[in-house]
Amino acid sequence: MAVNTQLAVLGGGPGGYAAAFLAADLGMDVTLIDLEKNPGGVCLYRGCIPSKALLHIAKLISEAEEAKKWGVEFGAPKIDVDKLREFKNGVVNKLTGGLGQLSKQRKVNYIQGRGEFLNSTTIRVKKTDGTAEDVIFGKAILATGSVPVKVPGLSIDSPRVIDSTGALELNDIPARMLVIGGGYIGLELTSVYAALGSRVTVVEMTPGLLPGADRDLVTALSRRLEKKLEKIMLETKVVSITEVPEGLKVKFEGKNVTEPEQIFDKVLISIGRKPVTSGLGLENTGVKVNERGFVIVDKQLKSADPNIYAIGDIVGNPMLAHKAAAEGKTAVEAIAGHKTAFEPNAIPAVVFTDPEIAWAGLTETEAKEKGIKIEVAKFPWGASGKATTMDRNEGMTKLIIEPETERILGVAIAGVGAGDMIAEGTLAIEMGAVVKDLSLTIHPHPTLSETMMGAAEVFYGHATDMYRPRRK
Amino acid sequence: MITEFKLPELGENILTADVVKVLVKPGDKIAADQSVLEIETDKATVEVPSEYAGVVKEVFVKEGEKLKVGAVVFTFETGTAEVKAEKPEVKPAAKPTPAPEEVPVKEDVIKSVPEAKAVTGTFEFVLPHLGENIASADITKLLIKAGDKVEVDQTVIEIETDKATVEVPSDISGIVKEVFVKEGSKAKVGEVIFTVEGVSTSPKPKQETKISAPVKKEEAPAPVLQEAETSKAEKFFAQSEIPVKVNTVPQLIVPAAPSVRRFAREIGININMVMGLGPGGRISIEDVKAYAKGLNEQYAATGCPRNALCIQAEPLPDFGKWGDFERKQMSNIRRKTAEHLSYSWGSIPHVTQFDKADITKLEEIRKQFGKKVEQEGGKLTITAILIKVIASALKVFPQFNSSVDMDKNEIIYKKYFNIGLAVDTDRGLLVPVIRDVDKKNIIQLSKELNEVSARARDKKLSLEDMQGGSFTISNLGGIGGTYFTPVVNSPEVAILGVSRSSYEPVYTEGQFEPRLMLPLSLSYDHRVIDGADGARFIRWVIEALENPFLLSLEG
Repeated sequence: MAVNTQLAVLGGGPGGYAAAFLAADLGMDVTLIDLEKNPGGVCLYRGCIPSKALLHIAKLISEAEEAKKWGVEFGAPKIDVDKLREFKNGVVNKLTGGLGQLSKQRKVNYIQGRGEFLNSTTIRVKKTDGTAEDVIFGKAILATGSVPVKVPGLSIDSPRVIDSTGALELNDIPARMLVIGGGYIGLELTSVYAALGSRVTVVEMTPGLLPGADRDLVTALSRRLEKKLEKIMLETKVVSITEVPEGLKVKFEGKNVTEPEQIFDKVLISIGRKPVTSGLGLENTGVKVNERGFVIVDKQLKSADPNIYAIGDIVGNPMLAHKAAAEGKTAVEAIAGHKTAFEPNAIPAVVFTDPEIAWAGLTETEAKEKGIKIEVAKFPWGASGKATTMDRNEGMTKLIIEPETERILGVAIAGVGAGDMIAEGTLAIEMGAVVKDLSLTIHPHPTLSETMMGAAEVFYGHATDMYRPRRK
Repeated sequence: MITEFKLPELGENILTADVVKVLVKPGDKIAADQSVLEIETDKATVEVPSEYAGVVKEVFVKEGEKLKVGAVVFTFETGTAEVKAEKPEVKPAAKPTPAPEEVPVKEDVIKSVPEAKAVTGTFEFVLPHLGENIASADITKLLIKAGDKVEVDQTVIEIETDKATVEVPSDISGIVKEVFVKEGSKAKVGEVIFTVEGVSTSPKPKQETKISAPVKKEEAPAPVLQEAETSKAEKFFAQSEIPVKVNTVPQLIVPAAPSVRRFAREIGININMVMGLGPGGRISIEDVKAYAKGLNEQYAATGCPRNALCIQAEPLPDFGKWGDFERKQMSNIRRKTAEHLSYSWGSIPHVTQFDKADITKLEEIRKQFGKKVEQEGGKLTITAILIKVIASALKVFPQFNSSVDMDKNEIIYKKYFNIGLAVDTDRGLLVPVIRDVDKKNIIQLSKELNEVSARARDKKLSLEDMQGGSFTISNLGGIGGTYFTPVVNSPEVAILGVSRSSYEPVYTEGQFEPRLMLPLSLSYDHRVIDGADGARFIRWVIEALENPFLLSLEG
């Protein structure tokens, strides 16, 4: 059986479905291929969305606990894991079901199955019902995403060793848990399990959590995490994991290791993700993949095969849903013949821990590495009225500024709600805003967003809520 | 009515200018746009056009005088004058200073004078200028009919040229009185499309649509604008409006909103080349349009996109259709070589003269003295000898040691003798220059030659080392070949290509004799060197090689 289509999209994640939907809106005849019953991809099924549902609960639990300080006591939380899992699954089903609806409304031909390229014009789909179908396409968009990296020797075949997917399934709440990898995925899941009652240890090879992020942003988070976790082991390596009757015996190596052998009920391995570019029959096409497995594309997301475009995690970092979606739209516009290119000034990144950490554009770290001259203006949330009312003064809002033109090159925020607030910073960077634009924009009081204006005022040495005259 | 012509604003930070030439005298009749004054600022020499037409009454400045911006240059009578529309292309550098409201606006000149002042009456909407070489367009959609109310900037027709489909906004407002075209019909630029009854306010006519059409030519690389000559007022203004941006910030973060970047992309403008006039260098749609317009005008003025090469790159085919390929970034040397040689090849009319020199005798002498030179630390090569010979030849034929200045119609004769040598390195072609070769003997030259080639290969040449040549020698003899056509290394005017010498039978005095013959290829710039001179020059060189004593006699 064969079907002809103008555009085939392989992979129904946030990149794939955004592309398929836009293409349908532009009048193309679109086929979307994915393994799941509905579009959604990792993000909706086992990534951003379920983790956010759980993080919301985690935050609620820790706030309830903190309320003691403010004179309100709720008592110890009673957690019904099954019901919690049901809630999370409900969120996932609601959103993916919605996408299925949207897909139908747009008359996108959705095929559930695994696709493999036979050549530059055909994808053979092994459907979940056991049959096969050939999709003959004019153009194709590859959007197959990424999977967690497995570590030989550590990723042993045991139900006790899990990756982010396993962690989000929430089969149980282990008493003692080890998280390998202090990146954003590890820390978000750490926050979830710690709040649900697990004693969590985080082990990270580099000298700090969230490698790559500016250190001053991480400080606020690690201080808070230290109180909630059993231990954070930095500059430490896990050398072996063996299954023993009482759990998993983990061997550590590193200069600060006091107990080189410990037993955990579960180990979560979250050391990164890798693109899914093998097993897709790409060798039957002109698509070129680099040594790290990423598809090589141009600014229009076109691969070395003129019929095939690629977007999202498979074309490189950052592996973020919103980047994939933007790329998907660009690819579709390019296919539609528009003069378009994926050239954003800033792609926001958010770590949904508590407090959240978010940044966009140039970071202080990057500026230092590249020798770019910048000026930094920071507004500590100790001076924020709203943060004080929430008893959450540990945050910070930071602007990275081009000294001569006073243009905003980067924005970084650590604190409650940073993920929502970074959008203003991203817009500022994209619009080529200067510091004056931020300081002269009236921000509502009392909100955390005021800290953005505050940081801009700090740059000029006259922040209303803070006395810090400009040195010069 | 008598009006003053004042020195207009000339650009940022330019407050005064020297009057080089006054091109008008009392009684002269001048037309709008006619050059009336030639001035020199510290940035450029500029011809200043008059904004108005009229008869010159009194001139207040003399040549050689310094003038302040705003100073009255002359007065003129505008009784019959037409007010010229404020030229959008001279904003913001040179906004005309004379206030337009001082000049009476007559009803009957309104069509040619879309002045900012509001006037009531019947107005014509004509098909605006759509871009270079576009004389007409098909009307694909007519969005107004008689009785409709139109506003300024409202899209009134959609047209299709051979380059693009464009929505054309109105530059007048009022009630549509009569429509003269139908959908599907063809209209010429300047043809009346419809008339309106109402108020005319058209401060920004005709530019809107222009940018949509020409896409390809704007993509022409524009790297050297800042060095470009500024002898004409338009160029000066065009330049002050489209300066090349020097971005200190990573290009990844462009100071332009996403919508502006998209607009630039759509009309084929590289946003990184656009100078933003907003706060912090922020680029607006208007900045992009001004830049595109500047490019167009430059194109119209010179017939060329930016630099001298009028050849537009053809779009590359999709090589992937025929097999594997890979793309690699050009090295800086490669890029520079490509740009420079393209310029040389494109701007210099080349002639290559071939000849061969009998170096049998020279070879004997070379071997004879080779040891001695070696003891001194050099190597007596044909190239070292040629450097000396060329230096002498340049003295005899000074036009070979010149450069051409087409803008000033002048030839520059150099009094120094620096010879460049094309050196093949693993990074590409480099041309180090040996200086003052006329003051050095062959031993010194051979030593320096050794040294400079070594430095070229060891990446130790400075930019300075490769500048200031009079003439270039390219010796490919070590590799082989008979003749080739070397490309003149602009701004030099000649280059000598040397190939491999070989024994050939030469018929002399009734019999064939084996002679060692050296093939030479002399390329020269035909603008300054005539064919006969080219032949004479190469013959002179050959005779010097064949009769080494000649150097001492004539050189």
